[in-house]
Amino acid sequence: MLNLRKTFLGVVAACLGIAGAAKADEMDEILKRGELRVAVQSQGAPVSFVNKKGERTGLAVELAKMMATDLGVKVVFQDYDWKGLIPALQAGKVDMIAADMTPTPQRAAQLLFSRPMFYQETVAVALKDSPAKSFQDLNKSGLNLGATQASSYGEAIKRFMPQATLKEFAGGTAAVAQALSAGRLDGAVSDLGNVSNFVREFGNLKILDGVITREPLAFAVQANHFHLKHWLDNYVELITADRRLDKQVEYWWNSSAWEKDHK
Amino acid sequence: MVERYWNIVVALAPFLWKGFLETLIVSLVGVVAGSLLGFLIGVIRSQRVAGLTGLLGAYIHCLRGTPFLVQLYLFYFVLPNTGISWLSWDSRTAAFVALSIYTSSYVAEIVASAIDAVPVGQSEAATAVGMTRLQRLWHVVLPQALKLTVAPMSGVYVMIIKSTAILSVVGISELTRQGEIAILRYPRDILFIYGVIAAIYFLYCYPVLRFARWMEKRVGSARPTELD
Amino acid sequence: MSWILDFYNYKIVAQYLDRFATGMAATLTAAGISLVLSVLLGILIALVMLSKKAWLRRPVAAYVAFIRATPLLVQIYLVYYGLPALLPFAKSWSDMAFGVAALTLNSAPYMGEIIRAGIESVPRGQFEAAKGLGMTYPQRLRYVVLPQAFAITLPPLLGQTAVLIKDTSLLSIITVFEFTSAGILLNSERVRPNESFLTIALGYLAIYLVVLLLTNKARAALAGPAWNAGGR
Repeated sequence: MLNLRKTFLGVVAACLGIAGAAKADEMDEILKRGELRVAVQSQGAPVSFVNKKGERTGLAVELAKMMATDLGVKVVFQDYDWKGLIPALQAGKVDMIAADMTPTPQRAAQLLFSRPMFYQETVAVALKDSPAKSFQDLNKSGLNLGATQASSYGEAIKRFMPQATLKEFAGGTAAVAQALSAGRLDGAVSDLGNVSNFVREFGNLKILDGVITREPLAFAVQANHFHLKHWLDNYVELITADRRLDKQVEYWWNSSAWEKDHK
Repeated sequence: MVERYWNIVVALAPFLWKGFLETLIVSLVGVVAGSLLGFLIGVIRSQRVAGLTGLLGAYIHCLRGTPFLVQLYLFYFVLPNTGISWLSWDSRTAAFVALSIYTSSYVAEIVASAIDAVPVGQSEAATAVGMTRLQRLWHVVLPQALKLTVAPMSGVYVMIIKSTAILSVVGISELTRQGEIAILRYPRDILFIYGVIAAIYFLYCYPVLRFARWMEKRVGSARPTELD
Repeated sequence: MSWILDFYNYKIVAQYLDRFATGMAATLTAAGISLVLSVLLGILIALVMLSKKAWLRRPVAAYVAFIRATPLLVQIYLVYYGLPALLPFAKSWSDMAFGVAALTLNSAPYMGEIIRAGIESVPRGQFEAAKGLGMTYPQRLRYVVLPQAFAITLPPLLGQTAVLIKDTSLLSIITVFEFTSAGILLNSERVRPNESFLTIALGYLAIYLVVLLLTNKARAALAGPAWNAGGR
């Protein structure tokens, strides 16, 4: 009897649960709230940074703003550092992560990734007077190569320059560039956008020949937010078709046109 | 050269000012709330109530033995995973709570040792005139003990002010965070910008330390005692 | 047991045990060496601060104020980039050496402050009695003042040591792979925040508790049970 009652209650609860879920999924939540909450990381131009006017901008940020406009909601940015991004999403503090995140198998096991928004090219950088011409020349024992802590750049060094010693900096890419420029490193690995920025800033650096990896970058949502994930995929399709994505990528990624507006 | 640095300072001033205000607010809330909580815990601990002493000791040891970063992380990211909705805080609330609790562990120890530093004879004399335990504490012991806490407490405040630099993990744009964002605009001047940030912290913290020194000379300071 | 795996999957942590061990070794090395060096430097600072010579005291007081009122993060960067420019032989130092240098310079003023308070708490009469017995200044320090001061200052020294141990986590900004870095690595590769951060917390708590135990042992051994009993 007791079992029967339990079953009955269970069924009722399940029905209510399903009904509730069908009524309000994460997309409804966003529309009802009138806010799209986006986790970003200010890791530097041109993906995500704060410009001279104090506004948050960059390729990933502008894409998120575009999405919010098309949805008719306000966009709210939450700025975390790299290690805070995924926990913030998992704890439900934000609806999605808009950062230069590679959808690795391990990450995809915990989150849902959209289709790639854009691609980044990982390159190596060295001092101007370094004998190295291409990134392969850095694959020598005794050389110290820098990358940001726990990044895919560090992975690239391990995989493609295994002879050299990897030095991981917890302080972000600017710290890596500073260490390289000050002669504490023989080379460093980061994405092309960031590196070009640093080469212009520090007079004594040069980009080495060869693209080490070409990585897809995608936005992430919680593992059970299928509606939002499909909405994002559809959005990529759509803005590819109407060339808005191309325009953004061209402006931020493939040229330095953004510099005179934002630097 | 000097002009370049001056231009950077001018360009960054509004952002650093905003960051400083954030640091100021968060640290003040942490210090005030943490001191109240810590005071309460310290007083209770000094009364040697069976059972409570061990429990509060564990509280203090856990908070002092683990990095603040980890505590902050647990408050902001892990507590919401328990599914209890009122434990799901925004970054401000989480920062305030975590900082206050962290502060309380240090304050509690200072208060407890200050109470212990008040000569036993005082309390005994108060018993002799027929005061109850609470009266003794309130009228005799605490007024003397509180004076002793001022100097060591200032040291803790300065430590707390500097600890707020970690709050960027949960999305608080305090002084260090603003500096780091600025460094991305001027990557070549990373050392200079960190120097400017250090100077701002110094301007905030140094008067507190001077005040502590002055108070210490006037009223003496409590020697922190063993925790258990 | 599955609810434990949901919340804290120790199987994943086990896969990273070697990284955590490497990190722990670096943390203990950095904290251990810095502790010894900063206590020694701290004694020196305490003696200078107690001396009556202003030309000696002023610069040291300025250094102490600078360290106490600025964040460690900045101090580490300054040592990492500034020291090689100042001392050419430091160019060949390892990252760990820079880390230890920065932590020592940071920790010594706090140690000095604690030791100064300890020395001041030794009654003046004892010092004078030792003088009367014909002890030299180093002898008075070594046999009369420092042992007592040390026993008195052990609890605050423990507190400062706990801070020092936790501060080693900042060395990751100059590429030292210490205990926190191992947790960050786990979180980055496997996206398991609970496993990462709880393991970090447990690791530091374990070190803290060992240090706490050792302090209590040292206190009893140093000053003897009679001294402790005579306390309060």
